[in-house]
Amino acid sequence: MKTIVITGASSGIGQETALVLTKQGFNVLGVARSEANFNRAKERILSENPNAKITFFVADLMQQREVVRVAGEINQYLNEKCNGELCALINNAGCVRSWYMTTEEGYEQQFALNHLAGFLLTYKLLPALVKANGRVIMTGSQSHKGIKVRWDDVMLSRGYNPLTAYKQSKLCNMLFAKGLNDRYANKGIRAYVVDPGLVKTDIGNKDTGSLVSFIWSLRKKHGVSPAVPAKTYAYLCGQEVAPEGLYYYLCKEKKYSKQVTKENADRLFELSERLCDIRYGEVK
Amino acid sequence: MNVMITGAAGGLGRAFANECGSRGYNLFLTDINEDGLLRIKRGLERQFDITVATKACDLTNAESVDEMLDIIDKHGIRFDMLLNVAGLDFEGGFTERERENLVKIVMLNNAATLRITHAILERRRPGKPFTIVFVSSLASMFPMPLKATYAASKRFLLEFATSLRQELKDEDVKVLTLCPGGMVTTKETMNSIKAQGFWGDATTNPLEAVARNTIDRALAGYSIYVPGVLNRVLSVFGKIVPRSWIAAVIYWRWKEARNRALHLDEQRT
Repeated sequence: MKTIVITGASSGIGQETALVLTKQGFNVLGVARSEANFNRAKERILSENPNAKITFFVADLMQQREVVRVAGEINQYLNEKCNGELCALINNAGCVRSWYMTTEEGYEQQFALNHLAGFLLTYKLLPALVKANGRVIMTGSQSHKGIKVRWDDVMLSRGYNPLTAYKQSKLCNMLFAKGLNDRYANKGIRAYVVDPGLVKTDIGNKDTGSLVSFIWSLRKKHGVSPAVPAKTYAYLCGQEVAPEGLYYYLCKEKKYSKQVTKENADRLFELSERLCDIRYGEVK
Repeated sequence: MNVMITGAAGGLGRAFANECGSRGYNLFLTDINEDGLLRIKRGLERQFDITVATKACDLTNAESVDEMLDIIDKHGIRFDMLLNVAGLDFEGGFTERERENLVKIVMLNNAATLRITHAILERRRPGKPFTIVFVSSLASMFPMPLKATYAASKRFLLEFATSLRQELKDEDVKVLTLCPGGMVTTKETMNSIKAQGFWGDATTNPLEAVARNTIDRALAGYSIYVPGVLNRVLSVFGKIVPRSWIAAVIYWRWKEARNRALHLDEQRT
């Protein structure tokens, strides 16, 4: 049974991708922030695909203890039911914040959820991914271009701008994928970033201020349905031979920022390992 | 530089802790939330090359504070700065609130703040300058119907800090009172600011900037810091407009905001 984990699976791009993947016959493990949300999502997925194999886990991935806990539950599930194999992890959960807000560790929330949560979850699920020659896919954005990582103030506490924080977190997704490929491509793991394009979801309306919420409401009107990017995830999960590219839009490779270098990727790995207190090298 | 922060596991406390960490200050953090303390300690140590000590403590309980002081004394810790962040509020009109909750506001915001300030002043580094920050509020500038106890407790801090500053001037102790508008620290504060509409957004201060500027100004010897131009204008109004008028306007504003918040809650459920 080929199993895929997808975070942020109860709404938007995540929910649609979960649906498409169940239709392709994958066993989908979704992570959602609340039981109410996942019940709604599960109901919808089962109504469109009565044969869907979908299981949900609840976790607020912004908090590292929650990432660690849910990773434990997922690993247990994989060991019991899937021979310890995970064929893809889709780090899709993300957020937008209007203000500098911090997690329990005092980390800026967009950086913590959009980047660190996936970094830590991938680490925890890496043995299962290695076992299945798995793929890791991040939900990125075109907005990762035209920005550099603020290495001296990655939490942006010296002048917070919501868009800068978002763009930087999406550049981090690119660097993380690059770093994973540099380290684990020889072990059969491939990492990708999907550019979903402008999609009609509620990301900019959840827990944001009036201004950000208003701007996003205007912007999303021009967005496509989440079913459009879902195809790209399905493409990357479904290919027998792992595609060679890094950054995909509408099932095709796309050019990405010149900031995506080995040097920056290594630097982000070193920083993120410190912030999560893990060492990727230690994974067998 | 050794800094004690109370209420360190909350939003503003964490922002202060991060700011101090980025300056390389060593920290002694306390909060009633032990788990939260351990997590912020972990985050700080991973980010900055500093020493972070923590002790969970109920500042309203003298025994609990004595326990913490024992630990401080056992290790011979001496302080250069105290950030009094711990504080609380319960929304609602005076008669609508639980009696004990009302008392708790004063017990923590005032009585406990005096207790810890007195104790840490005794434990300042001898012969060195010392800095104290009291986290008051823009609310301290006005009579605030529907937030009467909270606003008065914050007024107490402002008055007290101004006098203490004078008393300790010759001992090289600097005292600053921070009087911020709303700050978005949690989902709840975000919603309460949204419910206030335009004025909520307009008086909201960015957390990270407030933390940074507060420490800059405290070290530079300022006595009061009201972040934001609009908030400074409002605080001047507070001094020149008759207080009964202000009370009437604020009552009207909060009643509206409260109705809107209730409405938002109903929509959500």
